[in-house]
Amino acid sequence: MAKELTPQEMLRIDLTPPNKDWMDIPTVIKPGIYCYPAKPEKVEIVGMPNPHVWSPLDDDWGLPEDWKETFLEGMRERLNKHRSFKIFMDICVRCGACADKCHFFLGSGDPKNMPVARAELIRSVYRGEFTKAGKILGRLAGGRKITEDVLKEIWYYMFQCTECRRCSLFCPYGIDTAEVTIIGRELINLFGLNINWIQEPVANCYETGNHLGLLPHTFKQNIEFMCMDIEDFVGVTIEPPFNKKGAEILFVTPSGDVFADPGIYTLMGYLLLFEHIGLDYTWSTYASEGGNFGFFTSLDMAQRLNAKIYAEAKRLGVKWILGGECGHMWRVVHQYMNTFNGPPEFLEEPVNPLTGTKFENAKSAKMIHISEFTADLIKHGKLKLNPKRNDHLKVTYHDSCNPSRGMGMFEEPRYIINNVCNNFYEMPENTIREQTFCCGSGAGLNAGENMELRLRGGLPRANAVKYVHERFGVNMLSCVCAIDRAVLPASMEYWVPDVNVCGVSELVGNALIMEGEHDRPTDLRGEEIPGFAKAEGEEEVTEDV
Amino acid sequence: MGRNLHKGLREILVHKKGPIVEKWRELIHKSYPPETAQFLKREKDRFSNPIGSSIEDSIWPLFDQLIGEADPSTTKKLLDNLVRVRAVQDFTPASAVQIIFALKQIVRKEVLPAAQKKGLLREYLEFESEIDRFGLLAFDVFMECRERVWEIKRNDLLKRPYLLAGGMCPSYMMKRGIKHLEKLKKEITQH
Repeated sequence: MAKELTPQEMLRIDLTPPNKDWMDIPTVIKPGIYCYPAKPEKVEIVGMPNPHVWSPLDDDWGLPEDWKETFLEGMRERLNKHRSFKIFMDICVRCGACADKCHFFLGSGDPKNMPVARAELIRSVYRGEFTKAGKILGRLAGGRKITEDVLKEIWYYMFQCTECRRCSLFCPYGIDTAEVTIIGRELINLFGLNINWIQEPVANCYETGNHLGLLPHTFKQNIEFMCMDIEDFVGVTIEPPFNKKGAEILFVTPSGDVFADPGIYTLMGYLLLFEHIGLDYTWSTYASEGGNFGFFTSLDMAQRLNAKIYAEAKRLGVKWILGGECGHMWRVVHQYMNTFNGPPEFLEEPVNPLTGTKFENAKSAKMIHISEFTADLIKHGKLKLNPKRNDHLKVTYHDSCNPSRGMGMFEEPRYIINNVCNNFYEMPENTIREQTFCCGSGAGLNAGENMELRLRGGLPRANAVKYVHERFGVNMLSCVCAIDRAVLPASMEYWVPDVNVCGVSELVGNALIMEGEHDRPTDLRGEEIPGFAKAEGEEEVTEDV
Repeated sequence: MGRNLHKGLREILVHKKGPIVEKWRELIHKSYPPETAQFLKREKDRFSNPIGSSIEDSIWPLFDQLIGEADPSTTKKLLDNLVRVRAVQDFTPASAVQIIFALKQIVRKEVLPAAQKKGLLREYLEFESEIDRFGLLAFDVFMECRERVWEIKRNDLLKRPYLLAGGMCPSYMMKRGIKHLEKLKKEITQH
């Protein structure tokens, strides 16, 4: 698709793009926007169809001969299986309410990134191939046939949607474009056309239990390394339990917290919290991933990868499950897990062992969010906190899409932040809570090669951060999602360079007053805290003084 | 910059500032596809329209910089605000910065006849050169932005191998991450 420009073309600098119908504007696939294709061996590991080597810039994508039949059959099957998909194909009146709500449209200015237009890429095929009007009238009825170019266009734009569902909030019919993307990606996966940034974590997760493919001993060792850091920075020795049978609670978090900066500091926050309250819990080196990149591949794959959580809870004989800070993990847990692999009759309704609070919201799925748990502990005065340790931070909170729009969790993280920090500033109303803007890199788009896309998608969020940074001096962007923590630093580096990113539990960890702690001049990152650092020349206080 | 602008010409430019900048805004909006241009014009909320607000926030003070006492750091900051967004969008480098040079077309229509009447052609041409200088500065900014994107990409790539290396403990490596990155960067520069 990419071609060398002729000298004449090079000299032509068009300032005004053509005014044509969207179907007449060919999609040009550009580096910086797409992610690298899935490696065949990673497709093969999980038994998905048509593993092969291909490139989005080639004309030939290595499609099987009967690909059109497979595509149409796949679409027919999904139209019958998912009532929502069928309805979403039929009822859109193209009112445009969603058009300007997508971060990718707002950041790129590309009209095909208007949610209505992105869904229309598939909807037009539905009309052209499945409806009478579309079959007879074709383009007059907004229909078109599936061709290789159409498939390529669908591929390009299905990976320019982070399934954040902001658009669905504004749709008067409740059309959830994320579900259209989910089905669109399922169709793409019928031909081995996934992106590697999703496929490899899926294969890793299938083989070792987590996206990074960390083996049990590495997973354990990693957390133990963080305990060594805690010993240095806090002076408390923590020996976290792994695969402990009969523990009351199983704790599952995205593996991003185990290996990636700044997620590891959030994990140190969890470790300190559990130690602080003497929780009877366990880590699992098998259910070592809360995230689920299967969800960005197909619903079947999401189900397969999700199964390990309940299976491990059963094997270890825990009462209920506590989940760490993650985004899409909570969409899966909150809206799919219970029917994917549950309901888990062998588990009990979650009850906070320290406060007695029953989490009725998780009565069926038996899994609650760490922020719900922490907020409950604070509310009942179970945590000793010194928020002054976070005084050097001016914090704002980014509502991660899935915990906010996907499960309605708005207050708990704010309640926690207000208790562990003294300087909290909200971003503008139309950029938070239900209306939060995506980080721009969710749904498996957090690769490096598509950085231009990520920066475009990150613009609306960064624009709001920039506002509170300039107005209040905000220097810390907190969130409850591992992908946010992994990708927002790059976005901030480009758009608002003086703002750092952290998890809410990191702020908790810094504020917790631990029993037996020594002087803590630094935070969990090992960075000196102003006002807590020893003055120059000051002697270290020894025990016998 | 702008310091030597002829008083008479400045008066005309100040007088015409409104229509000039409004037309300039429209021209920048139209560098996007028609549906997008409409949206950029329509939506006034700065958080619902980050591209539009970056344009709006930049062009008015930029014009002031052109016709007044230009402060280099302010000019660069304003150009950055305008160009940073375009540097990651579907523009070629030329079409990303052309919006500055295109201001000349507008000023020519709005100001040149009046300037000629007053015998200020030479001063007018000097003012156009000033726009050219802003255009070149915009190209500097564009390149800085692109270099930044590549730096961010490079850092991402440099981090990945040791994070993904099976035998290594990532947090152990993380502790040595900065040194490790520096070493890798050094190697890259040397080869």
